[in-house]
Amino acid sequence: MSLIPQILRSLKHLPPFPVVAQRALNLLNQPEVSIEELVEVVKFDPGITANILRISNSAYFGLRREIHSLHQALLLLGTQELLKIIIASGATRLFANATPGYFQEHHGLWRHSISCALMADLLARELAATERTTAFTAGLLHDIGKIVLSLYVQQKFSQIMAVVDKRKIPFQQAEKLVLGISHAEVGGEMARIWDFPDRLRLVIHYHHLDRPEAFADDMVLLVYLADLLVMMFGQDLGNEGLAYDGFPQVLRHFNLRERDLERLLMHFSSSWGEAKVFFGLVGDGHAVQRAHRG
Amino acid sequence: MTVVVGVADMKVSNQANHLLVTHALGSCIGVAVYDPQARVGGLLHYMLPDSSLDPARAAENPFMFADTGIPRLFRECYALGAQKHRLAVKVAGGGQVLGGEEHFQIGRRNYAALRRIFLRNNVLVDNEEVGGAKARTMFLDLATGRVWVKVIGQNLVEL
Repeated sequence: MSLIPQILRSLKHLPPFPVVAQRALNLLNQPEVSIEELVEVVKFDPGITANILRISNSAYFGLRREIHSLHQALLLLGTQELLKIIIASGATRLFANATPGYFQEHHGLWRHSISCALMADLLARELAATERTTAFTAGLLHDIGKIVLSLYVQQKFSQIMAVVDKRKIPFQQAEKLVLGISHAEVGGEMARIWDFPDRLRLVIHYHHLDRPEAFADDMVLLVYLADLLVMMFGQDLGNEGLAYDGFPQVLRHFNLRERDLERLLMHFSSSWGEAKVFFGLVGDGHAVQRAHRG
Repeated sequence: MTVVVGVADMKVSNQANHLLVTHALGSCIGVAVYDPQARVGGLLHYMLPDSSLDPARAAENPFMFADTGIPRLFRECYALGAQKHRLAVKVAGGGQVLGGEEHFQIGRRNYAALRRIFLRNNVLVDNEEVGGAKARTMFLDLATGRVWVKVIGQNLVEL
């Protein structure tokens, strides 16, 4: 029995996307962003500045001087790094609820999302891609469909896994067979409802590469690969483990060898340790209530 | 007391009240060793097969690689009184994504590296739970030497 009608109903009751993150997304493709524009973005959430300063001062950025203001953060970190921090801080409210269909740990999805964002950023640097901020953001938001689908996956988890084992297909295809829709497709719908930039929506929708369209944009391939590498790294793995397809043509496309993947994992393990400050950003139930007030 | 072993990390102990645990092994491998007579054991969680990737990094943290981490695990257990012929050796992890036989093979290479090292040093593996697309958490109880593996989403299994 397809659960599509219920799932679509859940989408109708989707809370608004956090306004700070929304406004920050609109700055992604802008070559120059002024301090006035950033102040304009963060003023919608009075609590966010404290989080931005906390991250700016963390070991991850390793600055020698303590940052006390947005202005200083902009000067010392640069626009693009600051934009990443604002998007991560602004998006936390989305991830405040547990997603037990996918993760045992309360904040498992948030941790996986941050890990994927950091890996996408690292991979973009490795590949000398210019759009590192977009890579970070797409990595952060690639699994938003799991927020909505968790409830349904939880009910049908053993059935979905049985399909994975029996038919030797990846988890998102089994999701689609059992529930009628995959978390990637639900995420794509959410991105449409929230009016994300097209490119970001496509990454979310195609991040498991099950459609030929996915191969048309390097950003989709980059986030796909980051997601896979994070699964191999292992920490914060979901209930479905590593049950996703590895496509060798992606490695050929980026001219990466197995040895390069090992090196990426090695670099990631150090930045992951320093990036734990990001994990702590997601709060408790209060954050959820505020999210609904948008 | 639960003692967590992180990624690219190792703990050895002779405290009977210690439960060593390492969470969420993906392509990484967990190696648990235990000497029931000396009641000494250790748990290693390494990430990559071969330290030639970055010798400087291996010097900084030998637990990142199979070829530097595994010898350290055994040596530190010997330092606490364990003896090689009494050590029970159990292995878990080395998971893989689905598909290709030649790509995304870090899990498989991690396992092959361990087998090579053990073969060269005449170490037998008593039990293992490796490969597949599974995420695993591994426990070693220092009081008894018992080892459990939990595949995420499934029941605890003793190795």
